[in-house]
Amino acid sequence: MYKTSVRGILIPGNKSYGQVANDILHPLEAKSPPPWWYIVASLAIGMTGFGIWGIYTTVTQGIGTWGVNNNVGWGMAIISFVWWIAIGHAGTAFSIFLLIMRQRWLTSITRTAEAMTVLAVICAGIFPLLHMGRIWNGFFILPYPNTRGPLWDNFNSPLFWDVAAISTYLMTSAVFWYIGLIPDLALVRERAVSKVKKRVYALLSFGWVGTARGWLRQETAIILIGGLAAPLVVSVHSIVSMDFATSVIPGWHTTIFPPYFVIGAIFSGFAMVMTLMIIIRHVFRYKDYVTQAHLDAIARIMVFISMFMGLAYATELFIAWYSAGEYEIFTFMKNRVTGTYTIAFWIMITCNAIIPQLFWSKRIRNNLMIMFAITIIINIGMWFERYVIIVTSISKDFLPSSWASYSPTVVEWANYIGTMGIFILGILLFFRYVPIIAMSETKGVLKETSNIEEVKHGNH
Amino acid sequence: MEIINIIGIYNDPDDLIKGVKKVKEEGIAIKNIFSPFPVHGLPEILGLETRMPLLTFLYGVFGASVTFAFLYWTSVVSYPLKFGGKPLNSLSFIIIMFVLVIFVSVLFTFLTFFIRQKIGPGKKAVMIDKRTIDDKFAIVIEKDPAFTMEQLIKISNILRENGAVEVNEEIQPEGYKEERDE
Repeated sequence: MYKTSVRGILIPGNKSYGQVANDILHPLEAKSPPPWWYIVASLAIGMTGFGIWGIYTTVTQGIGTWGVNNNVGWGMAIISFVWWIAIGHAGTAFSIFLLIMRQRWLTSITRTAEAMTVLAVICAGIFPLLHMGRIWNGFFILPYPNTRGPLWDNFNSPLFWDVAAISTYLMTSAVFWYIGLIPDLALVRERAVSKVKKRVYALLSFGWVGTARGWLRQETAIILIGGLAAPLVVSVHSIVSMDFATSVIPGWHTTIFPPYFVIGAIFSGFAMVMTLMIIIRHVFRYKDYVTQAHLDAIARIMVFISMFMGLAYATELFIAWYSAGEYEIFTFMKNRVTGTYTIAFWIMITCNAIIPQLFWSKRIRNNLMIMFAITIIINIGMWFERYVIIVTSISKDFLPSSWASYSPTVVEWANYIGTMGIFILGILLFFRYVPIIAMSETKGVLKETSNIEEVKHGNH
Repeated sequence: MEIINIIGIYNDPDDLIKGVKKVKEEGIAIKNIFSPFPVHGLPEILGLETRMPLLTFLYGVFGASVTFAFLYWTSVVSYPLKFGGKPLNSLSFIIIMFVLVIFVSVLFTFLTFFIRQKIGPGKKAVMIDKRTIDDKFAIVIEKDPAFTMEQLIKISNILRENGAVEVNEEIQPEGYKEERDE
């Protein structure tokens, strides 16, 4: 089915099976990481340290150190939480395109996308825990037998659905990532020279040898877990959006929220994957694995999603006007399109709906520097989207007497920057200690895609 | 007593499939097949099957029923408490059931893979030919002491004539106990 020449040759350069490992494992097998690695790592450690200070302050002194108040109860923490969860959507989305829609050109991207997913979900999970204020009572969110009745959780609450959805998502994406990683770790084990490295990778690869039975089971497990993860792409962010949509706050109480959040999540996730793939392609010389065609295809998908984003923004505005609800009209027209937060609103529109339209141009899709810049702009835009949704709606709700403004404090920024540090540090460790491109899967597509000429001439 | 294996090494998955087909036609028992990546069509030729999809389905059914039983018991039996005028046995249980079906079936499928494959942290990998993890493919046939010289030559010829680049006879490494692939 996929042996057509639509995608052309996926891995150019007539590579042999042995060469794949040589090409992909060079950052892992290098004696020491390159100098830039240390520079970025120390920066990330600095950011993480700042974050640890923020977390320490939050935990010891409480969320009074944040800028949130009685009216604006959800500030930076929830903005960052939604932002990170959204970024974490691309890994699973990519794997599902690969597995279920048989888009085998994605083979070289999924490993990074999944690693990014796991890290982003970990970063996201920090914020709701901090937002509890008394983090040591965090286990209250789990239904456990207690002496208060036993009083159980409210299972109709979207906040509880969140707990279930996000822990499931973290577990599933981690398991899915690791099961595909085992054969590659086994290859690292066999190639390792130093004793320590051999030991560590022998432990991590679980004694994998690659018999026919083993492959059958591994492939079946991957397809099953991937298939089960597929609905999570849609459900996790839908459930996050219900935190907002099931409330009665103007601007949140809309039925468009679940699809709107899911599309936005996939958009920012794709942007982050693209950012990472451009970096990887450049610094690790993976030009034969992450080709221009890959980036071109992702950019095309992003134009499509960007138009969806524009449609969602327009629909929200239209429905606010069409519903003739005065609070809705006030929130959208007087507090977003115009008003105190107008800058944030127009940054959101520009970054998410207008600038990505540049991807229509082939020249821009071929220019990696501009593509890189646009992907960063998209993620900034997506941050502003959450800012607009959260802060505008609750800072000015029904009673003008209870209006309040919100500005984040340095502790809140520290938490946010800290999670970025954790993310960057995790990505750097991934670059250094894990095969960045799925080798066994790449070898699987090597032959099928390089003999396209043969297929054409009918000697297959 | 030492076990000796006859190992046919291949460079290409298509040659491997050709070789396996021929060996099977001749009625020679294959012990294991090693490859650096899953070779499509091989399980069908070897007659390998896995019941994992069925198991995953059963895990899902189990997850759904346990979750529903728990939600029903806590909300209706153990401590009935009205929230927002919704019925005690609420339709929105579906959301938690949906998520937990995925949780239970993913986790159990993952564990089933390790238990059935008998791999796990600390398991020592004993490989017959280390190159098969990187870029070679191998058919391993156990040498029966009752094999006559003629039979051995025949096996070797079958392997060679169907694309094997090497045919080796090696003593099986200690601690090797992979499940047979046939």
